[in-house]
Amino acid sequence: MDVRSQDHEGHAGLIGPTVAHADAQPQPPRESGAVVVPEFGGAVVLAAQAMATRFELVLAGLPEADLRAAGEEALDEITSLHARLSAFEPGSVVSRLNSNAAAGPMPVAGDVFALLSLCRDIWRASGGVFDPTVGPLMEAWGFRARAGETWRPPTDEALARVRTRVGMHLVELDDAARTVRYTVPDVRLDLGSVAKGWALDAAAIVLREHGVSSAFLHGGTSSVVTLGAPPGEDAWHVEVRGLPNDRARVAMRDQALGVSAGHGREVVVNGAVLGHVLDPRTGHPARGARVAAVTGPSAALADAWSTAALVAGGTPAGLPEGYAAVVV
Amino acid sequence: MSMDRRGFLVSAAGAAAGLALLPETLPAAVRPSAGPVNLAIIGCGRQGRRLGIELIDKLGEGARVAAVCDLEERLARNLAGRARDAQVFTSYKELLDKAKDVQAVIVATPTHLHKAVALDSVAAGKHVYCEAPLAHTPEECAEIARAARGASTVFAVGCEGRSNPIYQLARTFYKTDAVRDSVSVYAQDHAKTTWGRPGDWWLDPATSIGLPGEKGVQQFDVAHWYRGSYPKEVEARGSIRLHQDGREVPDTVRATLRWADGVELHYDATIANSFGGRHETFFNTNAAIKLAWTHGWMFKEPDSPQLGFEVYANRQQFHNDEGITLIADATKLAAQGKLKEGVGLPNLSHYYALNDFLAAVSTGRAPACTASEGARATMVAIRVNEAVKKGGTLTFDQAALTGV
Repeated sequence: MDVRSQDHEGHAGLIGPTVAHADAQPQPPRESGAVVVPEFGGAVVLAAQAMATRFELVLAGLPEADLRAAGEEALDEITSLHARLSAFEPGSVVSRLNSNAAAGPMPVAGDVFALLSLCRDIWRASGGVFDPTVGPLMEAWGFRARAGETWRPPTDEALARVRTRVGMHLVELDDAARTVRYTVPDVRLDLGSVAKGWALDAAAIVLREHGVSSAFLHGGTSSVVTLGAPPGEDAWHVEVRGLPNDRARVAMRDQALGVSAGHGREVVVNGAVLGHVLDPRTGHPARGARVAAVTGPSAALADAWSTAALVAGGTPAGLPEGYAAVVV
Repeated sequence: MSMDRRGFLVSAAGAAAGLALLPETLPAAVRPSAGPVNLAIIGCGRQGRRLGIELIDKLGEGARVAAVCDLEERLARNLAGRARDAQVFTSYKELLDKAKDVQAVIVATPTHLHKAVALDSVAAGKHVYCEAPLAHTPEECAEIARAARGASTVFAVGCEGRSNPIYQLARTFYKTDAVRDSVSVYAQDHAKTTWGRPGDWWLDPATSIGLPGEKGVQQFDVAHWYRGSYPKEVEARGSIRLHQDGREVPDTVRATLRWADGVELHYDATIANSFGGRHETFFNTNAAIKLAWTHGWMFKEPDSPQLGFEVYANRQQFHNDEGITLIADATKLAAQGKLKEGVGLPNLSHYYALNDFLAAVSTGRAPACTASEGARATMVAIRVNEAVKKGGTLTFDQAALTGV
């Protein structure tokens, strides 16, 4: 069996804003794979590696020194959240939960509890198509295998065994005590389908606190937050790759965008290419859609709901008011 | 010249090798604390938030963040929102007066405000963990250390190397023939950052103690702790290589700290380039030890004797050099087939420093870095910064260090 991997896991790099600042010479887009990032005169661009991808902040509208100081603090917030939320960092909160929460309730910080509560709410509202506990299924399907590593597709019996420890219903959240408990052993939370958006939302708060009102933030190009618009423009104009031409351009102003696609990390089983987004209802890779894009006020929600839309193969039930999905 | 840890140990160092580290004892009547320690965090900026989150995320069994304080209320509320039922204050004096259940205080204010908060906290009978650097003048360092010595509570300083498991392990090798005699020490701190705006307190000449003071203090303390002595002089210079934004505090610094036995520490700090990050390397005649806060390695000379633990050791290749990974419990990890998982620490070093402080409060033992050691490290760092400002050579006041 073949394991194909690209540079990052989770949401695929599919979007590229196309921005021309009225007062500056547009510059050729800088491309890296599927990524196009805006560059225009007066903008400050900062970046950091986190959550197995590249986060980039394009900032404008204030003196450079102010933008850099604000942007560095926003990137600090992102890297801090990576250290706390990554299931692959042994010291993270999520790793500690995965190791210990089956033994008894574990208290967590208010923001972590809020994120887990958000996951629970989206899991419920989406009828279970969004589920941050599919990690064991990812392993069973070989999406965590290293490139070239020998791997066999799971049998039905093996999948059935794995599925006994998959499901957000196995994660007990005590709102009063602010604790987390797994009701069976070996549950594995993996917040990869929501954490990038959560981090971008947090970074946007930091930027706003510093008075930044014109910014384009993205994580791996699949999660985006915009603040205001580029100076002299009415909105950030973003192109979502993989969507039909008439629906590929999105005008964003104080909006977020999440894009999910099955490609980016794939396995080949009997000649069929299977994407890495799992359908928690069946335990198999989702085949309902190629690309799903969701816009709305919060990047965390847009992220999570884009995964739900991809799994559902269309606009998912329960998509909150203020959010819109395009699924192909 | 073979004066190093062997010579130091044999001769008891003293004046010949520079000022020996003074024995640290707490006053006899430190009161152990039972159960989780109720903590207050004073100063909720970047560093206070970093410490507070670590306490809330990972150290909940040993500590409860009961109160937070910052002049800027939104910063205090931001951190309070992550804790459970933490009281919010904008005046630390009011916190000390009203938050009666608080047993210990984390001081994470701007450096030049440490003294007032630390002294008032000690006077209020609180255990104190004060961020490094301890203060922004030698006199204030000495004053805080004096107050801490006279108190019956724990006073720890956040010089994080001393509680870092890898640094502790490496030091046991450093103190043996595994590495033999000291040749030199190199410490670098490279980052690409603005480090804030010219108006920020750490870039304000009136309050700044520069890169050596704010950041280098951690690395100088590691060198003091390993070498068991303090340097006698420093030659330094600095310049602005990148940030031409009106600041006067250099963004790039080079310093050479010399010990009485001729060993030199070469310090290289910049915020204009990030290559290599932050690490310290001790070059000795049998091996070099490289320490990078979450990771550590020993690079042995081909003619040095084999060490017992090498059988189990995990190794990493660095161009032409092979490093033996330094990690606690390597033998145990090897037996469990988990050695590769143990190539680095799972937590950043401030986790271990806070954990050490909580253990000291709970047991009444001395913390890994006492007020006196933190004061000495800070006094050295301040002097290095003065040499940078002068662009020349300065000596260290051994009497002042001895007197702390």
